[in-house]
Amino acid sequence: MNRFARVAARVALIGCVSAAAAQETRLPAEVVDAFHAALRNKDTAGALSLLDRGLVVYEFGAVDPTVEAYAFSHLPFDMDVAVATQWKLETRRTGGEGGLRWVLSTYRVTGRQSDGTAIDQTTLETVILRRSGERFRIVHFHWSTSDPAFQARVQSRRPKDR
Amino acid sequence: MNISSRQLNAFAVAAVLATFAFHSGAALAGHDSIQVDPALKRYAGQITALGTPDAKGDIYSFRAKRLPSAPAFAPDELRGWRLTLLAGKRFSHVFEVRRNTGAEITVAPLDGPLNGIAVSDVFVLENIAIDRASSPQ
Repeated sequence: MNRFARVAARVALIGCVSAAAAQETRLPAEVVDAFHAALRNKDTAGALSLLDRGLVVYEFGAVDPTVEAYAFSHLPFDMDVAVATQWKLETRRTGGEGGLRWVLSTYRVTGRQSDGTAIDQTTLETVILRRSGERFRIVHFHWSTSDPAFQARVQSRRPKDR
Repeated sequence: MNISSRQLNAFAVAAVLATFAFHSGAALAGHDSIQVDPALKRYAGQITALGTPDAKGDIYSFRAKRLPSAPAFAPDELRGWRLTLLAGKRFSHVFEVRRNTGAEITVAPLDGPLNGIAVSDVFVLENIAIDRASSPQ
C-alpha cells in the first residue's frame, strides 16, 4: 500500500469510528479519536462513555472540575464546534505505562464561524487516560491554542466567576 | 476530598447556569471563543420528582424544571427527542422521549426504565433521534 493509500485508509478509519466501536477500542490514542468522532457525530452518550467519572478539564483557561460539570457546561459547545469545523491531526505522541497513559496531539482546526469569519488555528491537546477494567477512559483534557491573539480574546470574554 | 453526588450536581447546575446565561444565540464554544451555530436544538433540565412506578416497579417518567429557568415545554414538544442523563447513577444513559407535558417527561420503554435516576439529577434533551446501532448502552 502506498503512502497516500495508507493515509486515506487512516482518515476513513477515523471518520467511521462509532460509539459502539469506541467501546471496543483498547489503545489510548484510539479512545481520543473516538471521543472526537463522537462529538462530530452528535453522539453525546458515546462521548460521555469514553470519560472517566474522575474527569477534570482545563480548557483555554477555564476549569471543569468534574465530569458532570464538563458534560453540562462545555461538552455541548465542543460538539457544536466539532460539527462546524474540520480537525486535522498534525502531530501525536503517546506514552505512559500500566494503567495511566498520555496522548499529546496537535490539530489544525479550520472552518467558518456563524458570521462567516474564517477559523484557522492550531489546537494543542493533552489527554491523560486511566484504565478502568478492560478499557481506557479519559481522565483529563487540556486544550489550548498556539494563537496568542485567540487566547487573549478568550480570556477577555470569559465571565469573571468561572 | 470526598464530594457527594448532591454537591456535584449543585456544581454542575451552577456551571450550566453560568454557561447558558453567558451564551446566547450562537454558541460560544468550549473551544472558545469560536462562535458557531448550535449543531442541534437542545435544552438542559433537572429532575424534581420521580414518576409513579408501574406494576413491576419500573419508572418511565419524571417531573423536571428547565435549566436555566424558562417557560414550560409545550405538550409533546419533545416527542422523539434524545434524553441523556448527565449525572447520577444513570450517567450517560440515553432514552427517547415518548411524550411530555409542561413539566413531566415520559420516555419510551424501548430503552428500558429510568430506574436509578434521582431528584436533582441533570440531563440534556436534544432534537435528534437515538442511533441505537451505535449506542454505547
